[in-house]
Amino acid sequence: MDKINFILDGKAVSAQPGQTILDVAKNSDISIPTLCHNQKISRTTSCFVCVVKDVKSGRFLPSCSACPVPGQEIDSSSDEVKNMRRTALELLLSEHTGDCEAPCTIACPAHARVEEYVRAGRKGDFLECLKIVKERIPLPMSIGRVCPRFCEKDCRKNVTGEPVAINDFKRLAADLYYETYLEELPPLIDKQVAIVGAGPAGLATAYFLRRNGIASVVYDQMPQPGGMLRYGIPEYRLPKAILDKELAHFNKIGIKFECSRKLGADLSLKELKQKFGAVAVTIGCWQPGSMRCEGEELAVQGIEWLEKIALNNWQGENPGRVIVVGGGNTAMDCLRTAIRLGSPDVNCFYRRTEAEMPAEGIEIQEAHEEGVKFNLLTAPVGLRRENGHIVMTCQKMELGEPDASGRRRPNPVPGSEYDVEADLVIAAIGQKTRATADLRATKWGDIDVDQETYHLEDNVFAAGDCVTGAATVVEGVAGGRKIALGIVDFLTGSKHQQEKVINVSRGHWSSLVPDDLVYLRNDVSHESRVKMDFIPLAERCSTFSEVTHTLSEEFMRKEGERCLECSCTAKADCKLKSISEEYGASPEAIVGEKVKSGYDNRHPTIIRDRMKCIKCGICVKICKEVINRNLLSQKQRGFVTSVGTAFGEPLPDSCRECGACIEECPVGALDWKIK
Amino acid sequence: MMVSDKIKKIKVGTASCGIAAGADEVLELLRQYVGDITIEEVGCVGHCYAEPLVDVETVDGTVISFQHVPSTVAGVENVLGLGDRGRFTIPAGRRNKELHKVIGLAGKICPTSFEQYVENGGYDGLKKALSMIPQAVIDEVRKSGLRGRGGGGFPTGTKWGFMAAKQAEQKVLICNADEGDPGAFMDRSLMESVPHQLLEGMLIGAYATGATKLFIYCRAEYPLAIKHLSIAIDQIYEKRLNVIAGLELEIVIKEGAGAFVCGEETALIHSLEGKRGTPRFRPPFPTDSGWQDYPTMINNVETLANIPLIVREGGEMFASVGTEGSKGTKLFALAGDLRCPGLVEVPMGITLAEIVFDIGGANPAEVKAVQTGGPSGGCIPVDKFDTPVDYDSLKSLGAIMGSGGMIVIGKQRCMVETARYFLDFTHRESCGKCTFCRVGTKRMFETLERITAGEGVPEDLDFLEEMGNKVRSGSLCGLGQTAPNPVLVTLRYFRSEYESHVREKQCGALVCNALTDVLLDQEKCIKCKLCIKNCPVNAVSEDFVIDNTLCVRCDTCIEICPKKTIYRVKKGEGYYRGQN
Repeated sequence: MDKINFILDGKAVSAQPGQTILDVAKNSDISIPTLCHNQKISRTTSCFVCVVKDVKSGRFLPSCSACPVPGQEIDSSSDEVKNMRRTALELLLSEHTGDCEAPCTIACPAHARVEEYVRAGRKGDFLECLKIVKERIPLPMSIGRVCPRFCEKDCRKNVTGEPVAINDFKRLAADLYYETYLEELPPLIDKQVAIVGAGPAGLATAYFLRRNGIASVVYDQMPQPGGMLRYGIPEYRLPKAILDKELAHFNKIGIKFECSRKLGADLSLKELKQKFGAVAVTIGCWQPGSMRCEGEELAVQGIEWLEKIALNNWQGENPGRVIVVGGGNTAMDCLRTAIRLGSPDVNCFYRRTEAEMPAEGIEIQEAHEEGVKFNLLTAPVGLRRENGHIVMTCQKMELGEPDASGRRRPNPVPGSEYDVEADLVIAAIGQKTRATADLRATKWGDIDVDQETYHLEDNVFAAGDCVTGAATVVEGVAGGRKIALGIVDFLTGSKHQQEKVINVSRGHWSSLVPDDLVYLRNDVSHESRVKMDFIPLAERCSTFSEVTHTLSEEFMRKEGERCLECSCTAKADCKLKSISEEYGASPEAIVGEKVKSGYDNRHPTIIRDRMKCIKCGICVKICKEVINRNLLSQKQRGFVTSVGTAFGEPLPDSCRECGACIEECPVGALDWKIK
Repeated sequence: MMVSDKIKKIKVGTASCGIAAGADEVLELLRQYVGDITIEEVGCVGHCYAEPLVDVETVDGTVISFQHVPSTVAGVENVLGLGDRGRFTIPAGRRNKELHKVIGLAGKICPTSFEQYVENGGYDGLKKALSMIPQAVIDEVRKSGLRGRGGGGFPTGTKWGFMAAKQAEQKVLICNADEGDPGAFMDRSLMESVPHQLLEGMLIGAYATGATKLFIYCRAEYPLAIKHLSIAIDQIYEKRLNVIAGLELEIVIKEGAGAFVCGEETALIHSLEGKRGTPRFRPPFPTDSGWQDYPTMINNVETLANIPLIVREGGEMFASVGTEGSKGTKLFALAGDLRCPGLVEVPMGITLAEIVFDIGGANPAEVKAVQTGGPSGGCIPVDKFDTPVDYDSLKSLGAIMGSGGMIVIGKQRCMVETARYFLDFTHRESCGKCTFCRVGTKRMFETLERITAGEGVPEDLDFLEEMGNKVRSGSLCGLGQTAPNPVLVTLRYFRSEYESHVREKQCGALVCNALTDVLLDQEKCIKCKLCIKNCPVNAVSEDFVIDNTLCVRCDTCIEICPKKTIYRVKKGEGYYRGQN
């Protein structure tokens, strides 16, 4: 038979009789996406992601099934065709229910592969656990102790009880292997980077630069590196010996520190820009906020007070009766430090209620345990000195409408003023960036970088608190990694810029009920969460010893059994995900009902998650036409169409050896249970 | 009981429509009292609104018809005594505008009587065809200009030509009797009333094209049609009419399980093969590769039932009726807001106004639109009713001829709700294969649900239009390609109704529950308390005020009020507890 000549994307091509447009495109190096087409089986023509347009008739054709006719003109790449494909993908995404990535990983500001490192821990491989952590978190000993645990707040286990104790995996793994594990380091290129500020963001920048073959010098204004890790976070939360161990590793991998060098004083941005390939500004937030009341100069600033005690190796005099104004983490640190210095009367004054306090719940709880008194809905209106003491005039507040931060605004109650007396008043009202004149700043005083790239100007990048405002260690680390990769691209011409990554989610745990949870393993533990191992309360209140011990391997392996392993088994090779990313299709573009069609994990090694199914029918045909078993079939019609077994029976045990359907499933609707 | 001595023969219409109206009971009573007079069961003449219908043939040769015959002794006495009550004459509109060809024998002969069919010219067409060469038969069909009556409108003669040209060890002819459109009953009526006419058409088709295996794919919801066809097939076997040119043809009835999509030819073939009823991409067309890969021709019931007439009277005779592009007559199932619903047969080219007003007896002042082509057709507004009914004119309005369902929509209906209603059907009936049809129609339906619930936003209309067009062009079969029609066509002709739903949150027709209140007019109320007693949620207070907070808009009070003092009003005009 004769060849069929036709036009494909403006190019004259020819097809053998029986060849489809998709076949011809493949031979002509024209990429047409498809989900439901599979060489091993007869055509299904279901997904319509492969549509092309017949220019003359204006009709859209599924290229996987349409054979060209002589003289036909086929358009496979116009915006109109791409738009049609995108809509097909968005429709599929709108009914596709699952979690591309686990909620914990999404929640982690550094996007550490949480589920993966917890799994390594569950299996007892804490070295592997640490390796995964360190892909994203170079300070696991510190973060393993001080992280507010964003991951745990979004953990699906919250649906049925308490979240998995994720951060404790990091802490244990780091305690076990941090000092011995040495990551693979590529050879250095001939360019160097200056980093100003040796706090979490600066350290992370240096670390990720080194992992990409770039050396750096880290400058810091203080006598020792660590930034707020050393001079802000108290010893009892993060022992400085631990920090020193962590920093020793930075020295080991060749990162140089130059301390007691302050930007604007004995360090010039202009010179750094000239001398180094790039400059990273990670100077943090070291400017205390103001109480805005009369006599406020009588109060000491929280971060400055903590810095002074830190410089004195966490020793100091009994401060007498102490008042701390503020409800954030720094306030808690000051309160609990005052307790440890022997103060007989430690008071927190906060203008809203405990529910609105920005401090972590666990910090507030531990402060309570240690004897801190909380004076809520109370704000200072003036300070004065009387008889060698400080008298603070306070006013009661009541909560009104929510303000811009979403928290209810405190309004003064007229006539409610009263006086309290103290020996030391500490203001812990927040921190700001202290940017030098040559750094462009926003109206809030933060460094004014490009929000996407954190690029400031020329070869200067900035990250951390000085860009975001005072935040957490893990957020600082995430920012550091971001500019490290930006600097790598800047210096080497590589392209780290993240492509558009989509994430389908079953929804936040607070919107789910226990029946919505999908159990990959049949033996997920329903035990309660592992308990923290506190030192005795008396010791907590009188010394700066670390308040908790690292939990044992045995406990953490057991804790790992509680993990649901939420992420998709097919996240690495999901065609719906990759094609959607290529076509810019968004899971949120089209919203509607999703069928809760359930999952089946009764088979020992195979899970069928029908909620992920895109009804392409490949599995049905593979089983029937290739394997000759016919175990699966499509059921019902309309939107509730599903793939199932006869009478809903489990797949037979013999499927253990085959799994041919699993190999061909374009999404994760059919998969091995093992991750 | 007095039985008139003028009566010679009695015919009772016992097709499904008659039975539903009580014809079986009437027949039973008549049998008790008629004595020796012959009673015959006949099919449907199309006047569904007048069922049960009884025709009485008198000794002097006239026929007296009775409508709405009650299944009571008094009712039967009136008929047998040839009383004056319930005399039925065909309304003038119908008499003048209809042209009964394909249903010419329906309601006149006993469906299961082979002899009566033959006496009335039955199987003359087959005889004549067998005397011709097959190609001449096809030429005759081609000359007639007959186009597929299932909705596609493909020229039947051309299809037969393709089929005849195929060389294969076996060829298959399938009669598509999976009449799935809600409100359509043309095919059922034909199969129940004149089963032999369909079978004759099939035998002629088999002879002309060389098919030896004949299927009738009939939905299982048509038990009477299946019964009559089975009897007729037995009679054919008995008379050896199935032996054509020395070959014994097999005729099989296959009952469909009720999936709308199985009316689509490739899905139908899959279903016949015992597979899941889903369409596949064409080509290959069934005439190239159909049932078990054999060349297969699929014709609709009405198409095949026209064949005996065409062969008997000649293609040119058939083509003398109708328009340039649409020849012959067409059956329509008239339903909805009109006085005389039922089955009608009209010449192609007749206007919608003639069908809806003259034949259907609808009041022009009360009609808003007509939905042609079933749930996947389009609503044509009343100002376009001068459009001639033919394949191409309807298509140009965005509607389709479809198989012949015609639903009249009164002014009291909300077009958004109407579109939602139709999409509710189609989105459920999608086979689930194509993404656009399975998910796209669902998302459109959800959007319509939101709009009718008063939660729509103006952007929803753009979404409906864009998605509607994509579902149209991104679906394999006719179901998906036409499912958005009700939405797209109402958006085209009744956009203002959508606009008021999404912008002012008002339903002008006072239909959408979320956008209306219920009000009792205290001044006209006679305080009979029927509303209070019957309200399922106790929303009517003892002092006759309806609390719209409680009211579930079930309309029970509106329907039960003897003085019509309760009615729907715009949202906000009703009483709400704690207000006013």
